Amino acid sequence: MSALRLISNRTSQQALSNSDYTWDYEYYEYGPVSFEGLKAHKYSIVIGFWVGLAVFVIFMFFVLTLLTKTGAPPHQDNTETSEKRFRMNSFVADFGRPLESERVFSHQMTEESQSLFHFCINEVDYTNKAKVSQKGPSLESNTHFQEVPRSSGVFEEDLHCLTKFNIPNFVNTEQNSSLGEDELLISEPPIILESKLVMQSSHRILD
Amino acid sequence: NISDFSLNITDCTQVVVPEEVFFTVAAAGILENLLILIAVVRNKNLHLPMYFFICSLAISDMLGSLYKTLENIFIILCKMGYLTRHGDFEKKLDDAMDSMFILSLLGSIFSLLAIAADRYITIFYALRYHNIMTLRRALVILAVIWTFCAGSSVAIALFSYEAATVIPFTVLFPLMMFFILCLYVHMFLLARSHAKKIASLPTSTVQHRTNMKGAITLTIFLGVFLCCWAPFVLHILLARFCPHNPYCACYMSIFHVNGTLIMCNAIIDPMIFAFRSPELRSTFKKMFYCSR
Repeated sequence: MSALRLISNRTSQQALSNSDYTWDYEYYEYGPVSFEGLKAHKYSIVIGFWVGLAVFVIFMFFVLTLLTKTGAPPHQDNTETSEKRFRMNSFVADFGRPLESERVFSHQMTEESQSLFHFCINEVDYTNKAKVSQKGPSLESNTHFQEVPRSSGVFEEDLHCLTKFNIPNFVNTEQNSSLGEDELLISEPPIILESKLVMQSSHRILD
Repeated sequence: NISDFSLNITDCTQVVVPEEVFFTVAAAGILENLLILIAVVRNKNLHLPMYFFICSLAISDMLGSLYKTLENIFIILCKMGYLTRHGDFEKKLDDAMDSMFILSLLGSIFSLLAIAADRYITIFYALRYHNIMTLRRALVILAVIWTFCAGSSVAIALFSYEAATVIPFTVLFPLMMFFILCLYVHMFLLARSHAKKIASLPTSTVQHRTNMKGAITLTIFLGVFLCCWAPFVLHILLARFCPHNPYCACYMSIFHVNGTLIMCNAIIDPMIFAFRSPELRSTFKKMFYCSR
């Protein structure tokens, strides 16, 4: 390892030892290093490093958990039109680590060997956050994810998904979001975000 | 050569990992990542940018484990006397293997970055994802990443004793981690607002458990990478700047444990990235059932 050569170069340059370049398990020659008169424990760096790392990871975890608890209250919808639908889905972003296999569409889930998550993405407009102040769903930045599990021969569902080209209010962090309650296909609560969002979109449907 | 100095009994001796453990861990890492590569190559459904980035991560993990295995083999050969210890050929071989290891580290970092960026684009630019991240672009990105990593690794291995290479190398590591963390936190916030909206529906019964899972997942991602690579990066820093300090020397005595940790990373990474894809899992099942 380069660290090995570091030591060898250094020691040979300083002529402190007669160690040649050795390629051996005894990488480091502690001859020149004196272990006397240590104030702290000799493994203090090791212990300090690992404790620091553990503290950092735990801190990060708590910060993330706190983020789940605090934050803006859910935005109530102002206008509900029939176009605003809201579909739940296992929107892949690996955020819900399923220790058990969790699916959102449990009642539609067919775990075939060929099944893929089929996403019909209806995106209205993903505008900047600066434009959000306007009310009205058509100007909001929304992405709408519909998931249609693709099993063999469920072509009707695919078509059904396509025809529902509606304007969703979904993933946005802005003020004006309205939720439609017409169809909530989610039967199970967890929102599993997995970023394995395979955009097998309409061309695949039509194949 | 073991120098016969008057050693204190309190000296930090090298912590040696048994060779069987070493080889087992390395072999498991190589096999696992090889399986992923084979699965992605064989299944046409998996020819997507996302899986290519996961493959890139698998390749860099494999390189890391391979490096360690080869190094162990050569040390054993040296001990048995087949290779001299001071030869020119061995030095060149050592150079090549050092650069392979650094290539693996850089490849891992950049692959994780690519995976995070890909997921970010997936979530925030959902409909345009197909146009932004075409297959060709993904391959170009990977080519650029690996060329850069190869060049840097050769440079770092050749000039490893210069501070000018060690410092950027060790600074790159936390910088990338921080950037990846920011990407994921932004995605996480989005997921959380999403969850809140669902929770506001009268018919839903969202639990907070989901977001807790998100926090756990994210912590696992970054925690694993940190715990597996940071010890080694610290080792390089200490070896460069304070090799004769007794505290530093004691830290450097656990070098082999750090190496084993890196190989454990090669085993854990597929589990938290690749095996979570249902398509990949089903490909594995098919591969194994067909072989019976």
